Amino acid sequence: MPHAKTSGIAGLLLLIGLSPLASQSEAVVALRGAVIHTAAGAPIPNGVIVVTNGKITAVGADVAIPSGAKIYDVGGKEIIPGMLDNHSHIGALSTDLNDFPMVVGPQHRFIDALNLEDKDWGEAVKGGVTTIVTGPGSGENVSGEAVVIKTFGADLGKRLLLEKGGMKFAMGPKSRERYPTTSMGVAANLRAYLIKTKEYTAAAKKWDDDGKKGTPPARDLGFEAMADVLAHKSYVRAHVHSATDVMTLLRLKDEFGFDLTLHHSTEAYKVAAEVAKRHVSAVVLPLGDRIGLTEDAMAGPYVLWKAGVKIAFHTDAPVISQKWLRLCAALAMRYGIPEEEALKMVTLNAAEIARVGSRVGSIEVGKDADFVVFSGPWYEPKSRVDLVFGDGTAIYDRTLEEK
Amino acid sequence: MTMPWRILLTLALGAGTSVKAQERAIVIRGGIVITMAGTRIPNGTVVMQGGKIVAVGANVSTPAGADIVDATGKYVMPGIIDAATHIGLGGNDLNEGSDPMTPQSRVIEAYNPFGEFGGGKPGPLRNHENLSGGVTTMYVAPADRAVLGGQGVVVKTAGPNLDGVILREPAGLNMVLGEPPKEVARSKNRDPFTRMAEVAMLRQLFIKAQEYQKAKGQNSALPRDLGLEAVGRVLTREIPARIEANTSGDIRSALRLSQEFGFDLVVDGGAWAYQMREELASRKVPVVLGQMTTPFVSNEEIPDRTDYPTVDERTPARLLSAGVKVAIATFSASFGSLAPGGQGKWLLIDAAVAGGYGMSDEDVLRAVTINAAEILGVANRVGSLTPGKDADVLVLSGDPLSIKTWVERVYVNGELVHEKGKMEKQ
Repeated sequence: MPHAKTSGIAGLLLLIGLSPLASQSEAVVALRGAVIHTAAGAPIPNGVIVVTNGKITAVGADVAIPSGAKIYDVGGKEIIPGMLDNHSHIGALSTDLNDFPMVVGPQHRFIDALNLEDKDWGEAVKGGVTTIVTGPGSGENVSGEAVVIKTFGADLGKRLLLEKGGMKFAMGPKSRERYPTTSMGVAANLRAYLIKTKEYTAAAKKWDDDGKKGTPPARDLGFEAMADVLAHKSYVRAHVHSATDVMTLLRLKDEFGFDLTLHHSTEAYKVAAEVAKRHVSAVVLPLGDRIGLTEDAMAGPYVLWKAGVKIAFHTDAPVISQKWLRLCAALAMRYGIPEEEALKMVTLNAAEIARVGSRVGSIEVGKDADFVVFSGPWYEPKSRVDLVFGDGTAIYDRTLEEK
Repeated sequence: MTMPWRILLTLALGAGTSVKAQERAIVIRGGIVITMAGTRIPNGTVVMQGGKIVAVGANVSTPAGADIVDATGKYVMPGIIDAATHIGLGGNDLNEGSDPMTPQSRVIEAYNPFGEFGGGKPGPLRNHENLSGGVTTMYVAPADRAVLGGQGVVVKTAGPNLDGVILREPAGLNMVLGEPPKEVARSKNRDPFTRMAEVAMLRQLFIKAQEYQKAKGQNSALPRDLGLEAVGRVLTREIPARIEANTSGDIRSALRLSQEFGFDLVVDGGAWAYQMREELASRKVPVVLGQMTTPFVSNEEIPDRTDYPTVDERTPARLLSAGVKVAIATFSASFGSLAPGGQGKWLLIDAAVAGGYGMSDEDVLRAVTINAAEILGVANRVGSLTPGKDADVLVLSGDPLSIKTWVERVYVNGELVHEKGKMEKQ
């Protein structure tokens, strides 16, 4: 899957924004004694993580700790990568999520609605979620471009991983409350817009090819945004529940060639082979302790995983608070997904599906030092988040909170 | 594992209910028994007969001819009780839209344990969605769009027929303070537009009911008023007022009403109840908390978090340490075919979260068993493994508060009504 580049000013800030204030000695941090679940290999009992200037510089069982490092003794604890919630709607006012009258609105960019004062950022950190995809929707057929962003820090430029974090489609049932009112209507609407986008791109190219003579074609932000999707600079994140609508999306993908991820994906398990065949990833919200899906639907992620579909879990926060993302994966373990695989579904898989797998999602050398120290197994409801590290800094410490 | 039950006889048991129960004793032995009425019994034995628990302990003899269930390595505990749900109410039956005050409405007259319209087979009632999570008893209330929605009922999730699942009816009168009733009323341009109106409407109704009681006492020939009769049951403390109140202000209003009219109060929701914990404790008002891992919801998909806040994980322990009796409930409704209202299936897992925040394991389990039973007024029948109580018993594969644990067997009134992976499809 092609990776979109971090765009514009945000990218620049990202490059120059790495811990410029921390002195060298303070910038080296080491954790030792815990079981480390890296999401990229077997668990390391009694492991060591070394962080330098916000990046992971060593991880393993026999790792020397540089002198002068700030050492955290976390014996008896369990460490996992900072989790990534692949689908949420936090960080904006609820009235900024849906532009209902605009049934197809790809020109909308979630970055223009971001509210860094939202208290949900802090809730996410407390739950060990250090990166999220958050975006608009899902009241429209196309709601706009999501962002991939870290949940901590005051510097937006440093927090933002992807400004073009994926184009939100919604196949209903919510969008059906408005025009168009049927699955057929939604499909026709999307297809018509995608065709117009191709025509728009073709017209622009023709003007280009003809030597840019005369008045250029009028620009249209919506078509431009959708053209980026068709050019693989962004991709489709489709809210979809029914197997029928999953198939419609797969047909649209076959027809227009865009990169696609499924979200909610409630009935995707019924067409798992079709999804797997096209290498489409599925982001799943089992909704288990929310509204109680059927046992068949709860076992859906297992079916998808067995079929070879790359899956991640999401909270749809604020629907489920991000701090319970880990329980979405834990519930899946009940239906047969092994522990370390389930962990990947809220870490590395989630990051790869969000196209930021090179930066976050696992405890590996070179990656951002985002990780979570748990009091016990990460999947047990009773376990608590003790410490959260973001870019190598302790951004949550339970003992401080409880004082 | 082979099914140890063979002979079923029909017995008539108390309260006019008729349930299938076993003449022959069933003995569950070898497991870690969590009675909820004392300390855990490692390698304990539970004996059921005639639909009741007849013996629990470490050194209990097995009656001759009993069916034996080997629970070695497993856990045995009483059935889970979900102290607040809207399960079994169809979409149109969740809220009475014509009137914000309907004390005459009885949930039992809309309660549907028979499954989807036109689907399913005749026979005994089995709510496998809830049974699979070990929920054997639940309170069903009208949803929260009315100031006073009506009378709730306590039912079991399995039984021979509708009459046979009713444990207590009416079991409470359900009222709501806060935004939900206002929202509907505003859309219909009727009262209550404000919290002031909600409380004034309730206060006026309680006064009317007092006047009605008095007048009826002087002249029994007065025409009956079903609504005022129902409110009268609250005034005479036959049933409690269940008042959904989340903010400390709404909880204060509920406490004021209860003091003024002398009724028993149960606070439902209670998201900010810890702010009122001292007063709730001194007034002996229990709290039925919503879920911890999801926003407290009744029937809205994405709630306004001001009024449906996620319960702070520290709330149960904070209330408990102040001396408030706490139950943790789902407040779940059904959402159609994909989501048949099975939140009860996850109640244990949700409650387990509180275990990380200052509640002991036993405290957590009490919040979904004996405390719930006491709050619902059915503790003489359910809520603990105590001789004489209904034989509502769970066998679990492991620690009840672990994510890896499954409820393997569920007995209701001594009858095996759910077995993991075997009985859902019946």
